[in-house]
Amino acid sequence: MTALLLLLATASASEVTVWHSYSGAEQAALEQVADDWESTHPDDRVSLVALPFGGFDTKVDTAIPRGNGPDLFIAAHGNVAKWVLEGVIEPWTSDTTGIAPVGLDAFTVDEQLWGLPIATKSLVLLYDPSRIASPPQTTDELIAMARAETADGHYGLAYQAADPYFHAPWMHAFGAVAIDDDGTVSLDGDAQVQSFAFARRLAVDEGIAPTQPTGELVSRLYEDGDVTFVISGPWFTADLSRPVAAAPFPMVSETGLPARPYLTVDGIYQAKGAPSPELAQDLAWAIASAHGAQTRQDVGGQAVTWTATTGASPLVQTLRTQAETAIPMPTHPDISAVWEAQAYALRRVMRGSASPERAGREAQARFEQLQQKDVVEVSRSPYIAAFGVLLLGLVGMLVVRLRNPELRNELAATKWDYFWIGPAALAMIALVVTPFVLGAAVSLYAYQGGEWTFVGLSHFSDILLSRDFPITSPMSFFYTLAVTILWTVTNLTLHVSIGVALALVLREPWIRMRGMWRALLILPWAVPNYITALIWKSMFHAQYGAINKLLAIVTPGPGPVEFDWFAQFSTSFAANLATNTWLGFPFMMVVTLGALQAIPKDLEEAAEVDGAGYLTRLRHVVWPLLRPALLPAILLGSVWTFNMFNVVYLVSSGEPDGSTEILISEAYRWAFSRNNQYGYAAAYAVLIFGVLLVYSRAANRLVGRKVL
Amino acid sequence: MATVTLDNLHKAYGETVVLDGVNVEVASGEYIVLVGPSGCGKSTLLRCIAGLETITAGELCIGGKRANERAPRDRGVAMVFQSYALYPHMTVRDNMAFALKVAKVSKKERYAQVDEAAALLELTPLLDRLPGQLSGGQRQRVAMGRAIVRRPDVFLFDEPLSNLDPALRGHMRVELKRMHRRLGATIVHVTHDQVEALTLADRIVVLDKGQVQQVGSPRDLFERPANVFVATFIGAPAMNLLPVIGEGETCRLEGLEQALPVSGTGAFTLGLRPSDMFLADSGIPGVVDVIESLGSEAMVHVTVGAHDVVVRAEEPVQVNSGDVVHLKLSTVHRFDGTTGRRLE
Repeated sequence: MTALLLLLATASASEVTVWHSYSGAEQAALEQVADDWESTHPDDRVSLVALPFGGFDTKVDTAIPRGNGPDLFIAAHGNVAKWVLEGVIEPWTSDTTGIAPVGLDAFTVDEQLWGLPIATKSLVLLYDPSRIASPPQTTDELIAMARAETADGHYGLAYQAADPYFHAPWMHAFGAVAIDDDGTVSLDGDAQVQSFAFARRLAVDEGIAPTQPTGELVSRLYEDGDVTFVISGPWFTADLSRPVAAAPFPMVSETGLPARPYLTVDGIYQAKGAPSPELAQDLAWAIASAHGAQTRQDVGGQAVTWTATTGASPLVQTLRTQAETAIPMPTHPDISAVWEAQAYALRRVMRGSASPERAGREAQARFEQLQQKDVVEVSRSPYIAAFGVLLLGLVGMLVVRLRNPELRNELAATKWDYFWIGPAALAMIALVVTPFVLGAAVSLYAYQGGEWTFVGLSHFSDILLSRDFPITSPMSFFYTLAVTILWTVTNLTLHVSIGVALALVLREPWIRMRGMWRALLILPWAVPNYITALIWKSMFHAQYGAINKLLAIVTPGPGPVEFDWFAQFSTSFAANLATNTWLGFPFMMVVTLGALQAIPKDLEEAAEVDGAGYLTRLRHVVWPLLRPALLPAILLGSVWTFNMFNVVYLVSSGEPDGSTEILISEAYRWAFSRNNQYGYAAAYAVLIFGVLLVYSRAANRLVGRKVL
Repeated sequence: MATVTLDNLHKAYGETVVLDGVNVEVASGEYIVLVGPSGCGKSTLLRCIAGLETITAGELCIGGKRANERAPRDRGVAMVFQSYALYPHMTVRDNMAFALKVAKVSKKERYAQVDEAAALLELTPLLDRLPGQLSGGQRQRVAMGRAIVRRPDVFLFDEPLSNLDPALRGHMRVELKRMHRRLGATIVHVTHDQVEALTLADRIVVLDKGQVQQVGSPRDLFERPANVFVATFIGAPAMNLLPVIGEGETCRLEGLEQALPVSGTGAFTLGLRPSDMFLADSGIPGVVDVIESLGSEAMVHVTVGAHDVVVRAEEPVQVNSGDVVHLKLSTVHRFDGTTGRRLE
């Protein structure tokens, strides 16, 4: 035991802990670098801790200030400014000779370097080397080559044109930026508008690209040999079985300027409070420079920032060349709102529902709406007073009730019962009550740049008085509420009518192989709903979707049908509805089948002899007896549907222009894609809870009164 | 009121034959009871008449017209189910009025008819209750009422009394008899209870294995059973059957030295109802085995030769187990030893 403790003591004294979120080849390279470093530092050890990418930043934010962090951690440059602000990282003061300046720029905040850049990632122009001998130097050449390549289902170019990240190279070539250093945004500026027009020409008007390309579609097209040029990053090549070549972006012919993609820079940071900073810096430098960089390049396939590595693969070489002109991804807190607004403009331009000028103006307006207003702190005292009065009232009520001797006796007689339900009650408090109370508390605060400011009920008044948006705008609470109610009602109507109809058919004596049909019809329910949603999403694809292919068969006239389902509210909503109906009817069918079994056959026979035809029997005998079993199912189904995030988020994603968004997905957007306005999103969540609470109380009461 | 004619009716489910050539003619206003052991096809026959089962072969006529293909509602029949099959979500009034509602009779008129039927069945105070709030006997009456309201040509009763306790059943038998007399309706009643058959029927149809064994009045069936099956099925306790060999004026029973005073020739089955014998000082000798007392009378089990014979005796019975007694016979039945058919 003592020996073990001693061992631990000596080990921890000279151990350097590194957190990272690498996997695969990048992780292997990092491990090799660590091993090499240990061999030159015999007394010291490196402990590499791989953390999941999803929770990495949160872990850094929470662990390091509490002294539970590592010595070093590796992460992209996106949060540098925030981490400086929060005091999570130490500045880098040692030598940086030999590291490419573009990387250093990304880690510089207030003229001070806050980490050591180790590798870069960016988009490049990828192409099929079997079709193209030398890559284009200008966009005119690119368009000409792509046009020559386009024929019979083969496309010249495929990229996610409506995604701001993929649009950035053109935007920069026209001289525009997403956000200035001082936070100025002008999405309606001439340069922006010209870049929108250029993107429209490239992705739509030239006819060289497929419509509505998603990441998966682009991969599949390339894998099948159906596209020549692709705009994507190093991750695109990972799972590819066909050869692919890479080139830096061409020059945009209109401006004569190079297309410059965003650059993401991975860096190694020194955490605040590291026990042996010199040792940590030594390891960081070893990872970033010379031999470490060479290993990461050769083993991990990284485009490293160390300029003196040799023997890079053509792809890595291209990435490094591209990195020289690429522009580090902006880290301004408003950037996610810019992207949402820009994505909105791009979608409208691509769809042709707005000119570039108009789309730019609307995007700018939208950005200004999304941008956080100046937060006005509200005094807490009235809230604390109200809370105190409420608490006092509750305590008073408790005291009054406890003075009733009958209740006291009853409590004494049943005190063991409370003991037995204690564990369940504790679990409920921990898993349900606490998150709810915390969530509700969040709605009283505004979150901005890492700061929480108490704003009282102002989120609620803003939302309910529709202060920030006209009430008819898809961004307003009431518009979304109306859509949500329409969504719930139409869904439930379809789920119940289809479910009940199928159950009635399955009951008919002439049905053969009843068990098989039943199993088949329950299947949609058994498949995880996000998988179903993704499948339906692809079925509604304008160019490759099964729905349009089927339409082409039944509609007269030659040529394919390329109907854009997500271009207008009605069809976009219908696409969501079709998907969720597919997911929802089996539940109602199963409930109905069960309830039908409980109806004695005699009753229907009695009605038959009494002269009732099939429909009369259904209406007067079967339906009244099904209803008691179906009502709870309908209540449950309506709550599920009201909050059916997956389908709306994955199928229509709110298209067009957020009009098919429902409350729960809108709350998600406020929390995660509009500057992390957690407080505002939490207020949405509280309002959703309120709506459902009122609904279920009212429904229960109506059921109790036999109105329903 | 209407006649019901079953002409060589067959019903089969695949290979399984349930009704095998049934011929019955029900006169208008007649109370017919279909009786037989479970599985004999009596309920299926009733459901064929109601139209709830299709007829495989043969013809069904209601009111003189072929009804095989008619839908249940077009047959002019009303049915009372064993389970009563009351609609649980409707009040007694609505249950009884349902058929009229379906037939689009005005609300006023149908409630008037319901009130009339309810008065007949003493259901008036229960009209606004739900079936779940009624006792078994009350539900039974509602089921009857529902049938009456329709004023059908033919009533079909499927074991309507079998879910009642014995006292109530006895009472309802009398009610049914009264109702029949008052309505003068044609009734086809299915039961497995021969007491119900004997007390209610104008004529009884005895069914076994999908075939009609005998059709006749209760007296006919009791006094002149057509075969061994009917003889044992009708009458309680069942008729004693003894295999004997006739010797002209007398016949011989296995294991008994003394000849029985019953004429006959060859091997045949001798049928003796317990009530057609009495204990006497002399006659056929036997040893008392068990005595079952029923209050005013007793069933004495006597071992005669190698056979157990049940004899009805007035209480108080003066004999004990193990006593030697003598039997005298009043009426006897003779059945063919192989076919079981009645011998005249």
